[in-house]
Amino acid sequence: MTDAEKIYEILKDLTDEDLSEKGDTNLFETGLLDSMATVQLLLEIQTELNVDVPVSEFERSEWETPNKIIAKVQTLK
Amino acid sequence: MINLQPYSNPTYFAIILSGLLPVIIGLYYGKRLKIYESLISLVFLIFTFGGNHWHQGIALIGYTIFQVLLTIGYAHYRQQKKNQTSVFVTMIVLSIIPLAIVKLTPLFPANHGFNLGFLGISYLTFKTVQVLMELRDGTIKEISASQYLHFLLFFPTISSGPIDRYRRFLKDYENPPARDVYLQNINKAVFYLFQGFLYKYIIGYYLGTRLLPVVTHLALGQRLAFGGTGFSWYLLAYMYVYSLYLFFDFAGYSLFAISISYFMGIQTPQNFNKPFASHNIKEFWNRWHMTLSFWFRDFIFMRFTFWIMKHRWLKNRVRISQLAYLVNFLIMGFWHGVTWYYIVYGLFHAGAIIINDYWLRFKKKHQDKIPHNRFTEYFAIFLTFNVVCFSFLIFSGFLDKLWF
Amino acid sequence: MKSTKKLWLIFGPVIIAAVLVWGILLLPLNHRRVTNTDLKRSAVSLSTNVYHGTMLKQAAFSKNYVPFMGSSELLRMDPLHPSVLAAKYHRSYQPFLLGSAGSQSLNHFFALQGVHRQLQGKKIVFIISPQWFTKHGQTPDAFGYFYSPLQAIDWLLTAKDSASTRYAANRLLSMPSGQSSSVMTNALQKVADGQEISHSEQLFLEYRRRMLRNEDALFSKIKLDRHWERVKKGERQLPTKDSNQILTTTAIQLAQKHTSNNDLGIDNHFYAQRLRGSRINALRGSQKHFDYRYSPEYSDLELLLSEFKQMHTNVLFVIPPINQKWSRYTGLSLPMLKQTASKLKYQLNSQGFNHILDMTSDSRDDYMMEDTIHLGWLGWLKMDEAVKPFLTQPQAQPHYHLKSYFYTKNWQQALPQKEGSH
Repeated sequence: MTDAEKIYEILKDLTDEDLSEKGDTNLFETGLLDSMATVQLLLEIQTELNVDVPVSEFERSEWETPNKIIAKVQTLK
Repeated sequence: MINLQPYSNPTYFAIILSGLLPVIIGLYYGKRLKIYESLISLVFLIFTFGGNHWHQGIALIGYTIFQVLLTIGYAHYRQQKKNQTSVFVTMIVLSIIPLAIVKLTPLFPANHGFNLGFLGISYLTFKTVQVLMELRDGTIKEISASQYLHFLLFFPTISSGPIDRYRRFLKDYENPPARDVYLQNINKAVFYLFQGFLYKYIIGYYLGTRLLPVVTHLALGQRLAFGGTGFSWYLLAYMYVYSLYLFFDFAGYSLFAISISYFMGIQTPQNFNKPFASHNIKEFWNRWHMTLSFWFRDFIFMRFTFWIMKHRWLKNRVRISQLAYLVNFLIMGFWHGVTWYYIVYGLFHAGAIIINDYWLRFKKKHQDKIPHNRFTEYFAIFLTFNVVCFSFLIFSGFLDKLWF
Repeated sequence: MKSTKKLWLIFGPVIIAAVLVWGILLLPLNHRRVTNTDLKRSAVSLSTNVYHGTMLKQAAFSKNYVPFMGSSELLRMDPLHPSVLAAKYHRSYQPFLLGSAGSQSLNHFFALQGVHRQLQGKKIVFIISPQWFTKHGQTPDAFGYFYSPLQAIDWLLTAKDSASTRYAANRLLSMPSGQSSSVMTNALQKVADGQEISHSEQLFLEYRRRMLRNEDALFSKIKLDRHWERVKKGERQLPTKDSNQILTTTAIQLAQKHTSNNDLGIDNHFYAQRLRGSRINALRGSQKHFDYRYSPEYSDLELLLSEFKQMHTNVLFVIPPINQKWSRYTGLSLPMLKQTASKLKYQLNSQGFNHILDMTSDSRDDYMMEDTIHLGWLGWLKMDEAVKPFLTQPQAQPHYHLKSYFYTKNWQQALPQKEGSH
């Protein structure tokens, strides 16, 4: 599985929605992710992808769509 | 000696804007006049904390030296790649201690005369804790005393926020905007200034100075209503008047602070975004006193849940979030002050948001059966507004006056 | 668009607005015309705009209006209310009501600033409520509600150093209102210490006064007509002849009609609004511990007396009674009330204020009160028996000799001995 697939998998888990076709959906404005789910997302990324994301690093505007998350994870690797 | 309370009257704006004129002209030509800006900031700090408020000035100086030493010390420690949790916790505790003392002092009335407090100490503490946490996370790597001081003592927001973030502030501070961007900034600044006048000096004044004393008097006259509980129609009127007053007064104040920041080329974040149009409590906290609630979200709620989940102390995610809300709002309650009504206010909001979460989950599960139309939306806004106003009635401390 | 043009678009409207507002506030506007209708209405409006201002008061006191100073009872506008009687029978004086619920001696002291010239050597009727004389005296909230920066500045700019002046400055400093502007606070501090205010402070205060006077001229006529209709309605219910005997009959008839839903002699509307149902139960015995004998208010009263002296005014003091049926119910002590009245009378008589109408012995009589502690019907009429001759006949020039003892804590906490043992 690629990182992107893994991320869509995690997001599906958290939001109950398959977003792989909708990579530019704003996860916060649509209410798909709340603070709680965000924390889970960060933890899952840590365990599944081995990328350490401190909470401070989490700048909402940089993480608001699946595509942005994928890009961000790549830079942190 | 002159003393000027921030944004308290029109003269203040005349003085502040003439003092800032060189800064504005400098920014118009793409330059930040750092030395002049530091000097004028110092002058305004002296106006605010000098004169008959000099004891606050002394407290501010002591507090600032203490926090700068703490932060620079911790940054130095982190630069040596050391990262012990015990050191971090000690730093946070030390950083909060002055605020804690100030908040606890009123509980010991015997101690009067002794006061570490000054206007804005709680807002400065948000900034210091935030920087320490980011140093721990490694998102802030180095810190210079001068930049840190500018961030901490940025005078437009020193007394009551909005609470800015260090990295965001520094980006604006170190990079003066291009001319067309700056022109947009000051255009907004003028707009916010006048919106602030409307909110604080016209609507807020009418509600707070004209209407509030009247409904206060009427509601207090009904102490014996409803079986001695004091619940009367006048109390309801008080609740609405106070809630609207709180919003217009505080939103007006925030607009002033944002406006002056924009004049100085610093895009201080917004504090309010039509809070009374929220459909539920969760949305309310994304629209009301936003810099405070986002601070709590990022530095209390998210860290708390992250920590619990990482250590797997609780499995059930719903329970974790409920616990986190409780901790989050309880701390917020204590931050407002150690009185029963601030704490109940915190617990009330924790309860409301937990119930709200139950409902949102239920709604998600039964999406097909629950109607959604314009009427249900209006109803949601109406309900949220009333729940919020009731929480402000608790917050106002009026019930304390009414009952005790 | 060029940057400079953009700048004009941004700041042009602001500059124009600022110049206009400033201009209006600094123009000499205070000689605006005040019509007789304005005066009639403002005299009974009880509005805080009027209380805070000076323009309408100056105009009124230059004519035949007499200050009737007091508190919540002034709002009890039944047909026997002094304003209605004076209007109906075209008396040679017309009351100008100053004060409502919460205004006490300290506010009244400031309310007389700015009208010294107009009141010089004239007469005043002053209703002192025993209820003001609580343990802590004037509450800061109520003071702030009636406080007017214009009057405070008028006072500061004319005050001469004396025990009264220092006392007034200290009292104002102890209120949040006295801390609301730093220039004021500093000036007050100097006056409290017996020093002169500086030239720059004086200039600033004069500039503020100009603005506040203009605000007064522009806004104090707002909402003046609140109670005028009630006065007109009251006039229609009065007999055509100004005769005490006929008026007594009218008063009793009206009072009987309006106190029919309770046994306490309380106005039906008041009873239904405030005491109906279980509410009244909680008040049984609730005022047993009320004590009006020891209060800082006695010194605030002294301050007001010093003001009366300064203006050479002749003052009729009225100490209203308390509804005895009500005080029995709440447990308020009548002997305590009598002692309060004695203490007040001692303070007044011993300094040469000899026109006092003490009504506390009338507590037993029916229909004196409109409700619990507020004069009404027969009470107003009884007061009129003293007010009418006082205001319509010439009075001997009073001789006041004030004693600074009445500013002390000792007096606040003392009861007068038979021989005045201090």
